[in-house]
Amino acid sequence: MPEVDFTVEVCGMAGDGTIAAGGLINEAMSHGGFSVLGFDSYPAEIRGFGRCVTNSRIGSNEIVALGEKTHALISLNDEQSRSRTPSLAEHSLVFFDSNPPAYVPEDNSLLSVLPPGAQVFGIPFGALAVGASGASRGRNLTALGGFAAVTGVDPNLFRKVIRDKFKAKGDRVVDINVKSFDAGYEYALEKFSDRLKSIFSKIETDHDPKKVMLSGNQAIGMAAIDAGLKLYFGYPITPATPIMEYLAKYLPERGGRVVQMEDEISSIGAVLGSFYAGTRSMTATSGPGFALMTELITHGVMAEIPAVILDAQRGGPATGLPTKTEQSDLHAAVFGGPGDSARIVIAPTDVEECYHFVIRSFQLAEKYQTPVIVLTDFFLDNRVENRPLIRAMEGQAASWNVFPDEAFKDHYQRYADTPSGISPRALPGMEGFNFTATGLEHTEKGSPDYSPENHAKMSEKRHRKLRYALKDLEKPAEFFASDHLDVGVIGWGSTFGSVLEAVEKSRKNGFKVGALKVTSIFPYHSETIGAFMAKSKRVLVPELNYEGQLANLIAHLDSKPVDRLNFVTGTPIPPSAIQSRIEELLGVLA
Amino acid sequence: MSMKRFVIIGNGPAANHAAKALRENSSESRITIFSKDPFRSYRAHLLPDFIAGLIKEEDLYNSSYAHYNEMDINLRLGQRVVSVDFSKRNVILDHKEVVPFDGLIVATGGKPRLPEQFQLFQDIMLTLKTPLDARMWVEKLSNVDSVLIIGGDLTSLSLTKALLKLHKRVKFILNDDAFWPVPLNEEIYRAVTGRLEQRGVEIVHCRRIRRITQLEENLLEVETDREILETGVLGAFFGLVPDVGFLARTGLDIDRGILVDEFLKTRFANVYAAGDCAQVYHPALRDYWVSIGHENATALGRIAALNLAGSHFEVQVKPESILEVGGVKINTSWWTEF
Repeated sequence: MPEVDFTVEVCGMAGDGTIAAGGLINEAMSHGGFSVLGFDSYPAEIRGFGRCVTNSRIGSNEIVALGEKTHALISLNDEQSRSRTPSLAEHSLVFFDSNPPAYVPEDNSLLSVLPPGAQVFGIPFGALAVGASGASRGRNLTALGGFAAVTGVDPNLFRKVIRDKFKAKGDRVVDINVKSFDAGYEYALEKFSDRLKSIFSKIETDHDPKKVMLSGNQAIGMAAIDAGLKLYFGYPITPATPIMEYLAKYLPERGGRVVQMEDEISSIGAVLGSFYAGTRSMTATSGPGFALMTELITHGVMAEIPAVILDAQRGGPATGLPTKTEQSDLHAAVFGGPGDSARIVIAPTDVEECYHFVIRSFQLAEKYQTPVIVLTDFFLDNRVENRPLIRAMEGQAASWNVFPDEAFKDHYQRYADTPSGISPRALPGMEGFNFTATGLEHTEKGSPDYSPENHAKMSEKRHRKLRYALKDLEKPAEFFASDHLDVGVIGWGSTFGSVLEAVEKSRKNGFKVGALKVTSIFPYHSETIGAFMAKSKRVLVPELNYEGQLANLIAHLDSKPVDRLNFVTGTPIPPSAIQSRIEELLGVLA
Repeated sequence: MSMKRFVIIGNGPAANHAAKALRENSSESRITIFSKDPFRSYRAHLLPDFIAGLIKEEDLYNSSYAHYNEMDINLRLGQRVVSVDFSKRNVILDHKEVVPFDGLIVATGGKPRLPEQFQLFQDIMLTLKTPLDARMWVEKLSNVDSVLIIGGDLTSLSLTKALLKLHKRVKFILNDDAFWPVPLNEEIYRAVTGRLEQRGVEIVHCRRIRRITQLEENLLEVETDREILETGVLGAFFGLVPDVGFLARTGLDIDRGILVDEFLKTRFANVYAAGDCAQVYHPALRDYWVSIGHENATALGRIAALNLAGSHFEVQVKPESILEVGGVKINTSWWTEF
């Protein structure tokens, strides 16, 4: 059966409808039964400035990483699209507005910088949209019509998703948008009748109705609601803001509240306060906001108060690169803050895991009475995937809180030193279970005590609890398992998709390579990771940071040095870069 | 001094040899080829072989895309030049792009010639000039058994061979326009029809075609002054004419093709024309001639480029090789196919 692995980019200026067009491609192709992974990049500035690009990789098999070569470029702004040409595949299809409002000098023209094999499809986007709807605003839909006609996408897929997108605005708006799409479709069918490609029309796909098209941020918001979130406290920051927007829209329907706080310090303070009272709450932020939270996070560690904090990483340090992706908060998430303040850090690798890990984060926080940090990044938060998403049933998100036994009534010790380190937690108001919670070092009872013996004992108790937490933390998953590997690649977070694709391709080239997915960042499963490293002649850790932050964390687990591949381009690591590094290492081995 | 910009319109043998010669003689210049067709330079004489299934489509093409990158030539396919502003020295493209030039070579070649009486039927008649046309023939032939060819010319004879290889029934109508630019005298007529009949082609004798009607998707009815014929596909072959319509009203001197002197210069400085689209002045004849065929085109393309780069080469054609056909003087010096 023919297979397809096709990447399409839409490029325009902010305000051109670029992101909307990319979203419609993702939705339409998902409805067509294809696997889709989409990612948008847009400027940090407000609407009206800067370049927007959407990248959609569409496959008949499961897609786990972004496409590296663009097979079709839809240009809504030729001057901006010039920057996209280096990634065009040979014989790529280029759709552009053949009747722009003004004459264009060669030095601003997209067509003047295309590679010679590019196949150009000039469509008067604006003029057709005006003809169809009376306004040029629908030119992005006209462009999609042209794309659908030339590549052989069933137009009804687009018509459906356009109707779905605009139905809230009424029949008239739906009608003019469908007409704009149809105008481009009909034009291209006739104009390019001898150049139509049938790229998608010949592919049989199994439409899976359980497949849901979600971004990482949407999955996080959905998971929080399914986990019974009652209170969200936050302060807007890219790329975490869409979580707050999602919850602001849907959480009130479930009896919850979203509160925009004055800053990130008050946000984490409010989260600790509500969890202290026994109510599930969370906050989401990015690097600069996370930095502000660190002192109170350690307060949660010391006072053993649960908290769920989502750190959507972006390029740093400081304000850094607000709309670019990076995995450089790992050190801060694991070690940030005063004192020995170990806490749980987990990192999903795809949209589906975003959903399940957020649900699990509430349970871990409750059981281990400590802040749980979920590390995502701009790429994972903003990318969309269509996967069969099995939502948590009632009970699956149930509280893991360990309540004190009635036997301890009236002589309850909030910080009782148990074999696991988990002290049964009473909630304020439980009769006979009064206690003091404090950020000062304290006794098992909760009274401040700075004695050397007590600090040593309670420090050990808190860390013992974290070690015990490993049994509830997902073990690293090995892919292409083997007793001996020439190169073992360890991946985490959004980078893992690229790792998986690179390893799979290297194996197809006949190399003995395997992959390990690490999602429990701290505490981590040192035995499993160490064993994987030990059986690999070379260990490669690709990361989106300069310092090699996961590599630093696990390097001591094996005597051989870890090979690092560090990308700080603000963009996801291409699978080919990992594959090249793998094969470079293999060359060294040979 | 800024880099010189050379623009070549066309992507046939004249255009490509011009680009090559320009690059060899002007390493620092920016060279751009514009072609309205969306495919690379191809070997036109192999199109019938492709239709017959003897070669793959890839075998039609002359150079890889990488070749243009290596030569640092910006090949812009599927991009139609719609006008040239010689006063501002700009080429204007269909999509409203304005491309400045310091030097320009027009080498657009020819396009299928369709006599006026057949223009009404052009949508239902196939020609054969490009790989796209060839693909159309392949697609059509997969659904039909019979072909009627009207006109004649060298391409039609090659195609007929391909059609016979595919076991198609072929009928031929030769009329006065057949074998343009060669005059269809009695001797040629007899020689050609005899050879065709020997191969199993049915010659249809008639003076004129009255009507062509599409009965079904793959069935046409052709009414001549003598009989009514049915055919699956209809081919029109009347030679080529210079493809220079887009240059009308630009100030360029155009008769059948672009009028150039013996150095291939037009009336505008640093603007040249070469190949099938040019009408070249012959000092001895004191008249213009046009060229046909691959060899003529490559030679003229090269001369135009060298002269644009600063040389002063004259086109050398012996007067006796200039043949006059229907008022058009044609250089047949390299023309050996017929």
